[in-house]
Order: sequence, then structure tokens, then C-alpha cells
Amino acid sequence: MIRGALDKFYQACGYLAAAFMIGIAVAIVLQIVSRMRGVTLDATEAAGLCLAASTFFGLAHTFRRGAHVRISLIIDRFPPRFRHGVEIVNCLLGSVVVSFLAWHVTQLALQSYEYNDISPGLLAMPFWIPQTGVAIGVIAFAIALIDELLWLLTGGRPRYEAPDEIGLDKPVA
Amino acid sequence: MDPIVIASLILAGSLLLLLASGVWVALALLSVGMVLMGLFTTAPMGSLIASTLWDSSWGWALTSLPLFIWMGEILFRSKLSSDMFQGLAPWASRLPGGLLHVNVLGCGIMAAVAGSSAVTCATIGRISVPELEKRGYPLNMTIGTLAGSGTLGLLIPPSIIMIVYGVTAEVSIARLFIAGVLPGLLLMLLFMGYTAIWSLFNSDKMPPAEPSVPFLEKIYRSRRLIPVALLIGSVVGSIYGGIATPTEAATIGVIGALILAALGGGMTRESFMEGLMAAMRTSCMISFIIACAACLTIAVAFVDIPRSLASWVDAMHLSPYALLAVLAVFMLILGCFLEGISIIVLTSSVMLPMVQAAGIDLLWFGIFVVVLIEAAQITPPVGFNLFVLQSITGKDILTVTKAAMPYFFVLMLLLVLITVFPQIVTILPKLMSG
Repeated sequence: MIRGALDKFYQACGYLAAAFMIGIAVAIVLQIVSRMRGVTLDATEAAGLCLAASTFFGLAHTFRRGAHVRISLIIDRFPPRFRHGVEIVNCLLGSVVVSFLAWHVTQLALQSYEYNDISPGLLAMPFWIPQTGVAIGVIAFAIALIDELLWLLTGGRPRYEAPDEIGLDKPVA
Repeated sequence: MDPIVIASLILAGSLLLLLASGVWVALALLSVGMVLMGLFTTAPMGSLIASTLWDSSWGWALTSLPLFIWMGEILFRSKLSSDMFQGLAPWASRLPGGLLHVNVLGCGIMAAVAGSSAVTCATIGRISVPELEKRGYPLNMTIGTLAGSGTLGLLIPPSIIMIVYGVTAEVSIARLFIAGVLPGLLLMLLFMGYTAIWSLFNSDKMPPAEPSVPFLEKIYRSRRLIPVALLIGSVVGSIYGGIATPTEAATIGVIGALILAALGGGMTRESFMEGLMAAMRTSCMISFIIACAACLTIAVAFVDIPRSLASWVDAMHLSPYALLAVLAVFMLILGCFLEGISIIVLTSSVMLPMVQAAGIDLLWFGIFVVVLIEAAQITPPVGFNLFVLQSITGKDILTVTKAAMPYFFVLMLLLVLITVFPQIVTILPKLMSG
């Protein structure tokens, strides 16, 4: 039950991230079109905010699909039991660091709300709105990491191993 | 001991340990940044990290990144690879080296619409490897040309790695893109030259030349490449002419790629969603690394490591050439274990101040770094082009690496050339409008 709900949650965050990525393109298209018609529309802020939303909403989904890069060269050579231990330590570290980050990113959004910070450009978007998105994304990532940690502790095999194909997910540069 | 020395040792040691034990690169950067800041400064670490992460994640400069990645993913899933082979083969068949040049030319064209070396290598390789094998070309040359020219994806604009460098070094991405054009073309010439010379000396290993095709027939067979040429022209041309920012050019590129894929008949609902989600994941991974690296950079600057390191290097009175040589060797060693983006974000916070102090132009240095990272793509044990070719050909990493080796040395030749003649890099950006 919870398992299914969590997987759906990560997936939903992933789709939301993809939607915001399309949002960048849409904002730029609007800017180009309105420039052609002689109207000034500054999409730089909107595009930037879409980018941030896309990045942070995508974290959990990207993690589960094994697309966050890491060096597995050395741990691949470890005996299975020892390697399992290393993976647990990694997930533990990740859970702690990202939960800590989630707490402070949430604080940041709350502060922006309190002080009524707005973005510097024409858009004048109150910063707490995109920052709430960031906070939700980082919290989702923290949940995914803790989820994985518990899974590993109960003896499961890591679910974030990258699929071994020419999925261009992983080799980027 | 000096606290800066202690901090530097902790920085290097903990990063090495975390990366080696398989912690995700972004999280390794973030954790070390937190620890450094927590131990060596009195700044409120948590909130500083949160605001740095936020500030570095919504910058305008970075917005072209997901779009260029997406453009490559769309074209990777289109029928472009088979069109490319059919369109280029008649032109290359009479050159010494024959259809091997299709690999170089194809990668060069693909590099001008995709920003990544692995995408470039895989798009061309998955069609040309079986075709060349069928015609009896030596497999090691097929692999070598692909491994080498796949790396053109980094040098010929658009280029993901240049966006990452531009954002971290605060160099104009448009100028970086344009600076990569001439070295990219030169590199293609060098690759083709090496291939031609090799096949003249080893003509016994080469299959017989294909019958020649009349000129008009050649043009007709290449007709499907015209839309790609238009796409390249509008993306790179609009940046060079100063008409469009890289992000605008990327948007035009995505729309063009979607039209191209739709007209080519290779586009389905599934392939659209696959491309979209894959692009989102790659972009998410890269921008999160950049944001986490910004946290580390802030932490490192708080502890004053870059300035002390720069003045230390300054005190050694190295010539710029000696400094470049040291940095090149260092990055090549890193390149054996890390992929390109991690190399840039890891080294930039300490390396760039040093380079600047030595009076080296950061724009030129960007291209220098990109060529080094190209070399890193084909050096084992971690070289993504080698992995791509390994999975296309089914050969083991040793065979693939051996085949790629000569092309590694061609890259080193290019590195020497742009160091001796920096004009190759700087002339086009200087002529650029705006």
C-alpha cells in the first residue's frame, strides 16, 4: 500500500519536473513571439524559475532511476556482503544530509514568506512560491533516500542501480 | 599546522573517500561543503547552504542546458542516424579510408545538434557499426573513429560541458560555443587525416572501394540531411550573429528537432515521452551537481583555500605553459575516474583563481579544458564513449580502448596546437557581433 503510493509519488514528481522543463521552452517561445510583435516580455526569470522547479521536483525520480552519477568502479569489486554495507552507509549519509537540507530549504521558503521577498525582475514573483516547490522536491528526495535505506536494511538489493544499456540517462558529457 | 592546510587536507581526503565509496557526486560535494563550512567558519551553515543552493539553481545562464539535452534526446530517437549514414556514405566512399570517414563526418554533424559526446557516439555508431562490419572494414578502426569523433559532441556547439564551464567560470556561453567551432573543425580534419594515412599504409586490411556515384545521385541521396543542415544553421548561426541567446537558440532547436522527428516518421507518443523524461533526468542530475558544487565553492572560499593556493602557485613562478602542463596532467588523471561535469565542478573552485592569476584567458582555458575532457571520454577505466561502444559492438573494454588510443593522441595534438596557436580558439569570438 505505502510502497505503491510512494512509487506513484516519485513518478508524479518526475512528471511535474518534465512539465516544468517544457515550461522553460514555452516561456522562451512566448518571449520570441512577443518580441517579433514588438512587445517586450522578459522570460528570463520565468525560465529560470521553471528550471529550478524542474531540477528539484526531478530529484527523487532521477534517484530511483539511477541517473544521479556516482563512481561504482571501486565498490563493484567489493565482496557482496561488504558492498551491501557500503550501500547502507551511503544511503544513511544521503538521508542525513538531504534531510538536513530539506529542513533548511523549508526554513528559507518560510523566511521569504515572512519578509515578503520578491524576485528582482519584471515578474516580481514572491520567492516563497518557487521556494516551496524546491522544499517539496528536496523533501521528496529525502523520503526516497530514507525509503531506500530502510529497504536496504531489510535486506533488499539497491533499486537505484542504473540499467545497463545505452540508456543515455547516465553518460552525459 | 596552518588551519588552511588542515582544511585543504580534510577537503581532499573526504572528497576522495566519499567519491571512491560510491556516494552520488552531488551529495559528496554537498556533504564536504557542509563539513568544511561547519568546522572552519562561524557562519550559520544550514541557512547559507540553503540560500546558495537556491541562488545557483535558477540562473538564466543555465536555462539552455535542459533544452539542448532534450534536443539531443529527440534526435537520438529519430531516424536521423540512418539518414545520416545514407546521406554521407556516397561522399566518403572514394576517400582513402572510405566509409570510415562517415563516422567522423556523421559525428561532426551530430555534434552540431547534440551537446553530449555519448549521444553523438551512440547515434552514429548504432547504424554505422553494423553497416561497416557488413562491408568488411576493420573493426578496430570503426571503433576508433567513433570513439574519437564522438567526443566532438563536447567541442562543437551546442555543448553541455561548455554550459557547465560557462556557468561555473562565469564566461559567456555564446562566446564559448563560437570559440569551439574552429577547433572542432580542425579536430575533424585531424581525425580524417589520421584515418586516411592509416588506411594508405594498411590497404591490405581495407575492403575494396565502392563504385563511384554520379554527382547528382550523391546530392539526391543526401537530401534527407538538408533539414539537419538547416537546424544546425539556425541554432549556431543565430548565436553567432547575436540574434539569439543560447537559450533561445536551444528552444528553436527543440522545436526544429520535434518537427524533424515528426516528419521523418520516427516519432511516437512513447518515444516523445522517453526522450522528455530522459532529458529531464539528465538535466536534473547536472543542475543539482552544479548547485551542490556552488555550495562547496562557497565553503572553500570561506576557508580561503583558493586564494592561498593561487598565491602559492604564484610564488613558484611557474611559466603559464608549465602551469597548463601540470593542470593538463592532473585533469587527465582525474579523467580516468570521473566524468566531465564532475571534473569541471570539482576543480573549478581552486583551479580557476590559479589560472586567472597566471594571466590566462578564461575563454581560451574553457576550450583547453573541453579538449582534456574529450580525452577523458576515451581513457579507461571510466570513459563513457568506451562504454557506449562496448555495448554497441559487444567487444570487451580492452579491445575498445586499444582501438581508441590513436585518437587519444590526436586529441593531445590538438591540445598542443591550440596552446601554440591560441588564435584558433580566440579569432571567431573576437569577430562575433555584439
